[in-house]
Amino acid sequence: MISLLLRCQKLKLTLQKHAANKPLISALLQIQDAQCQRAGEVLFAPINLAMDQSELTVIAGPNGSGKTTLLEAMAGLSRFSSGYRRYEQSEELNNWLQHSHYLGHKLGNKGNLSCAENLEFVAHINEISVNQQQTEDVLDKAGLAGYQHQFASDLSAGQKKRLALSRLLLLNKTFWLLDEPFVNLDHAGCDWLYQIIESHISQGGAVILTAHDQKKIHDLANHHITLEAIPEEVFT
Amino acid sequence: MRFWALIKRDVLVSWRKKSNIYQPLVFQLLIVTMFPLGLGAGAQTLAKIAPAVVWILALLSTLITLENIFKDDYEDGSLDLYVLSGMNLYLASLSKAIAHWFTTGIPVILFAPVIGVLMHLPDHSYGILMLSLLLATPIFSLLGTVGSALIMNIKNGGMLLSVLIMPLLAPILIFGAGAVLETSLGNSAYSHLMLLLGCTVLSLTLAPLAAAAAIKINLE
Amino acid sequence: MNRIVKFYHEMGSPPSFYRITKHWLKPMLILAIVMTLYGLIDGLFFAPTDYQQGDSYRIIFVHVPAAWMSMFIYAIVGVTGVITFVWRMKVAEAVMMACVPIGALFTVITLLTGMFWGKPMWGTYWDWDARMTSELILLFLYIGVMGIYTAYDEDPRKAARLAALVAIIGLVNLPIIRYSVVWWTSIHQGSSVSLMGGSNGIKDWDMLRPLLVMALATKFYFIYSIFSRAQTYLLKTESKKQWVNKVIEQEMSGEKS
Repeated sequence: MISLLLRCQKLKLTLQKHAANKPLISALLQIQDAQCQRAGEVLFAPINLAMDQSELTVIAGPNGSGKTTLLEAMAGLSRFSSGYRRYEQSEELNNWLQHSHYLGHKLGNKGNLSCAENLEFVAHINEISVNQQQTEDVLDKAGLAGYQHQFASDLSAGQKKRLALSRLLLLNKTFWLLDEPFVNLDHAGCDWLYQIIESHISQGGAVILTAHDQKKIHDLANHHITLEAIPEEVFT
Repeated sequence: MRFWALIKRDVLVSWRKKSNIYQPLVFQLLIVTMFPLGLGAGAQTLAKIAPAVVWILALLSTLITLENIFKDDYEDGSLDLYVLSGMNLYLASLSKAIAHWFTTGIPVILFAPVIGVLMHLPDHSYGILMLSLLLATPIFSLLGTVGSALIMNIKNGGMLLSVLIMPLLAPILIFGAGAVLETSLGNSAYSHLMLLLGCTVLSLTLAPLAAAAAIKINLE
Repeated sequence: MNRIVKFYHEMGSPPSFYRITKHWLKPMLILAIVMTLYGLIDGLFFAPTDYQQGDSYRIIFVHVPAAWMSMFIYAIVGVTGVITFVWRMKVAEAVMMACVPIGALFTVITLLTGMFWGKPMWGTYWDWDARMTSELILLFLYIGVMGIYTAYDEDPRKAARLAALVAIIGLVNLPIIRYSVVWWTSIHQGSSVSLMGGSNGIKDWDMLRPLLVMALATKFYFIYSIFSRAQTYLLKTESKKQWVNKVIEQEMSGEKS
């Protein structure tokens, strides 16, 4: 009987603590006390982020600090080991997936398919129908004009990156999660990427990305997350 | 829409790389040559083991293609694409299996009579041979998606895939090769085929579940 | 009632599991050794000679308990696999991965003793009858679970979950495989004797007693084995936690004093 009472008290206290941590303004995307594990090891100290539309978040940290793991967990590809992600005040995954697009290291282009076919597949898999004109337009904007029938495996590394990035323009989801998007792009490409990120944000989109030394992006960012390694003593 | 999009893309990718389609068939031809070389060209001996040999060769040649069902997608990042599109992973695995069946199963079914001729399979068995393979090759593809999803992340997982899938294929082989054997002996293969059909339906419902679970674990 | 629930919850927590089961190890091992000796001596020297098979039937005192254990352990692997897969309990994971090598060992013992029984009895080391074939396929299932656990060496917890999935798939398929193999042997008139035998025909208490004693001995050995393996597994996978450090300190100070 007494143990039951004690358990009720403990439950009440945890609920109160949970309520106290809630940010006062309910942001569109909330990441609360998030941590990720890799091979059983917790990678970084808890992350908090409250993000709305028209904002840019940059995640920074040394190599191996877990930026990709964090971004994958944010995107919904893997799980947080503790903490949660809330989109529109709900932890439901499908709604978040509908409004976000993740672009990782592995670009997701199929070498045997042409650029246009790759884009068509991405659109169809997201249940968006596109016609030929739309894919051509997007490829034009990405600097791949005339490449619509070229196999993706024939492209250079920078062109493959442009093809992957052109997906963002095709799908036009609200949240973009980009893992090291500036890698492999030439100078013109970096400028172009910066420009589309800027226009996306000004049109009400939101971008979360990891980048090393892109000064312009760092200056543009509203939120900065720096991943710190977890000190050795802090274990439960 | 997503379901057909994934099937269409996979069939297109396989079709563009024709070696995906004819490699299993060439493999079968190579191995079937070993039998007369090893046993002697006696038509009687070959005809006796023909049902089993044709069936086992169909099985083995499919086995070598199974590893890449999910591995390719995992390695180039397109798995992330359809997982993050919110697509039901059950349907995704099912569509991968269907696409694999189109590009591997159907050629195997169509090529089996050639192997049968080379092994002196009795004339009246060809119909049942193709029917039993028609029922069984979907099972190979479905179980293949399960195995491929399990070993997605493992280097050189092909051998492990065979170890994992073989016990599950034992009943299929018993029913399928048994059907052809019975027909070649002049008996009815009805019960074999019915049991095989049961296995097909069972894999159709359960295998995508297992594959979806394996994908989720591997992505964590 | 409360004490049972409390005990169950404690067993689910790795440090408590370690602490509680440490005390069981020695008693279980001693019991297992004692009962094995008793069972073997009883079976080898005191059980009556079978009028049909002479003295070589005595191998069933090893063969049959091993066969029972191989199947029983697979059921345990399946159940703990489900718990690991659905609820991600660390202790269930440890128990599952501990059971698999032991189950594989018993399966191999069953197959080998079956072969040694077959040679003097029926003149052949191996026969593809229903039981031996299913036992062989069971060995493949065990090897599959072990294989996928060892092949994935980046993250042991993920590897264990994959292994749990493979175990569940095997468990679901086990009835189908068993039934198909039985059906297959019934339509092919191969040998009509079963190498596995079994205890169905044994009515003589003097023959049954060593068999049951050996069966019990294998259970005690099994409990000793899984607890000690599960403890090692927990120490290894939780090696960064504080309770492991404490245990190591205790062990080292215990050794010194």
